[in-house]
Amino acid sequence: MSAPPSSAGPPSERPSSASAAGVPPPAISVRELVKRFGEVPALDRVTLEVPSGQVLGLLGPNGAGKTTLIRILLGLTRPTAGEASVLGRPPSDPAGRARVGYMPQDLAVYMDLSVTENVELFGRLYGVSGERLRARAREVLALVRLTERRHSLVADLSGGMRRRVSLAAALVADPELLLLDEPTVGVDPELRFEFWEFFHRLTQDGKTVVLTTHYLEEANRADRVVFLHAGTVLATGAPAEVKARTQTETLDDAFLRLVRDRAHGSG
Amino acid sequence: MALLRVLAVARKALGQLAHDRRTVAFVLVVPLVLILVFGYGFGGQPTHIATVVVNEDRGPAGNAFLSALPGGVLDLSSVGSNVSAWSAVNSGSDRAAIVIGPNFTALAKAGTVSLTLYLDGTSPTVAAAVVSAVQAALQGAFASNGTGPSVRVVSDYVYGTSTTPFINTIAPGIMALAILFITTVLSIIVLVRERSAGLLERLFASPLRPSEFVAGHALSLTVVALAQVTVLFVSALLIFHATFTGNLLFAFGVLLLFGVGNLGLGMLLSAAARSEFQAIQFIPLLLIPQILFAGALFPLEAIPVAFRPISEILPLTYAARALQDILLRGWGVAGVAVDLLALAVYAALMLGGAILLVRRQA
Repeated sequence: MSAPPSSAGPPSERPSSASAAGVPPPAISVRELVKRFGEVPALDRVTLEVPSGQVLGLLGPNGAGKTTLIRILLGLTRPTAGEASVLGRPPSDPAGRARVGYMPQDLAVYMDLSVTENVELFGRLYGVSGERLRARAREVLALVRLTERRHSLVADLSGGMRRRVSLAAALVADPELLLLDEPTVGVDPELRFEFWEFFHRLTQDGKTVVLTTHYLEEANRADRVVFLHAGTVLATGAPAEVKARTQTETLDDAFLRLVRDRAHGSG
Repeated sequence: MALLRVLAVARKALGQLAHDRRTVAFVLVVPLVLILVFGYGFGGQPTHIATVVVNEDRGPAGNAFLSALPGGVLDLSSVGSNVSAWSAVNSGSDRAAIVIGPNFTALAKAGTVSLTLYLDGTSPTVAAAVVSAVQAALQGAFASNGTGPSVRVVSDYVYGTSTTPFINTIAPGIMALAILFITTVLSIIVLVRERSAGLLERLFASPLRPSEFVAGHALSLTVVALAQVTVLFVSALLIFHATFTGNLLFAFGVLLLFGVGNLGLGMLLSAAARSEFQAIQFIPLLLIPQILFAGALFPLEAIPVAFRPISEILPLTYAARALQDILLRGWGVAGVAVDLLALAVYAALMLGGAILLVRRQA
């Protein structure tokens, strides 16, 4: 019972399929998505399309529905209504999941394994093995600057280092789509800068990065932002566009303006 | 199922153990402690021991003796011949046979009461209880009439001997118990930890399937069980000079089947629990009834009659019985078929349930 060949996702296939279609298909497509927990709607008819090859910032306060949206895209939870497709497949398809890297908001790495053991475990779960796995692990650990600590137990690392292990685990299988929930929390500004550089480098290879962040200002570096508020999409567009539309100087102000307008509009 | 992912999970679980020396020590020392603690003189007073009687006596003394047998200790049933009495013990359906010869009354009048016992020495506690009940009945029946015949009981051990080391008879139960401990505790703890750290969610965001998750842990558990059973065998053989007649590999296979079932049950309960705290509470619930009522440490006959139906639904009962039959009686697959079947059904149901439920908690 081996996985279908497509789940291995050889990187060589990706550019050709993207270029053959002319306009690459969207990495994520979500239509009229509703998720209710009891009476409370966590997502209320969210429609969203994320073109591939972009860094998308998913912004909004706690409880806006960012994590719920990501969990649906990963097939971890089922929507109450609506449709979602990730890389052209339903989120419940395990073969599709093999091409999606995920870094959860909680520090989901094994404290009682070493840095390398963690990264290699996730590599194997996504179908990477042997020499390629070792090479990829070295690469991503260099990227998150943990080469020197690669044999340390995660329990012995600082909070910021642990988040970097988690990011390395999300990257190791060279996914086409990265879903990163708060990847830059506890990461110092210098390294945060490097992360953003790296995210943009990934998009040059046709990959897509979706990340959530509390630091609205760092989202200025995203190609596109989506403002989520109380389970609905307030606005979407390039950061400059959104700021121009709301006649504000910063994304923080833009967000506040949009929330206020919404409140007046509905009340 | 993809082997790469199964192996990845197994490797992860073993890696976690390798970094945790205390748990490794726990895994290896628990069986040793159990065998030392329980190896020395544990045992309740057996009652309702299944016993067959052959009464060929031509006089009244045989019946006088039988009616003097203390009630409650032996559950008597009659058979017609010496041979069927022996085979009742040999097949394991009865623990002992009392054979009263045709000249019992005549010999008693002449001054010697003599009878033969066929005993199952796989449990010396039970065998000793039979012997002492018979001795007491003989004293009661014949010492009181003043003739005071000398009493001669010939004990013929169908399995084991009167000097079979106690550790021999307790070791199979200890093995099953050690496997029960470690598999139950580890499987519950593993799932609780993965759940609370958000790891289960992250694992199932990957292509990992629930069956691969369960299989990987079953595989790592096999390695742990192998180490544990080795400690048990080596300590029983070297420290206590135990002698086993049966096939050790077969015994290991039974332990593995039992362990995999426990793993499934642990994961199932852990997944069904609403909180980590609830999950942990399943541990004593699973262990204590099995320790007391499964015939692993005490013979089933030493369990109060009211509780015996409970024994029948405890997996450890079947595992312990199969191991005793394999290691002490030297039985093969045919002899323990019922126990094997019970353990296989248990393992299949529990693993199936765990696979269905484990992802729900992600």
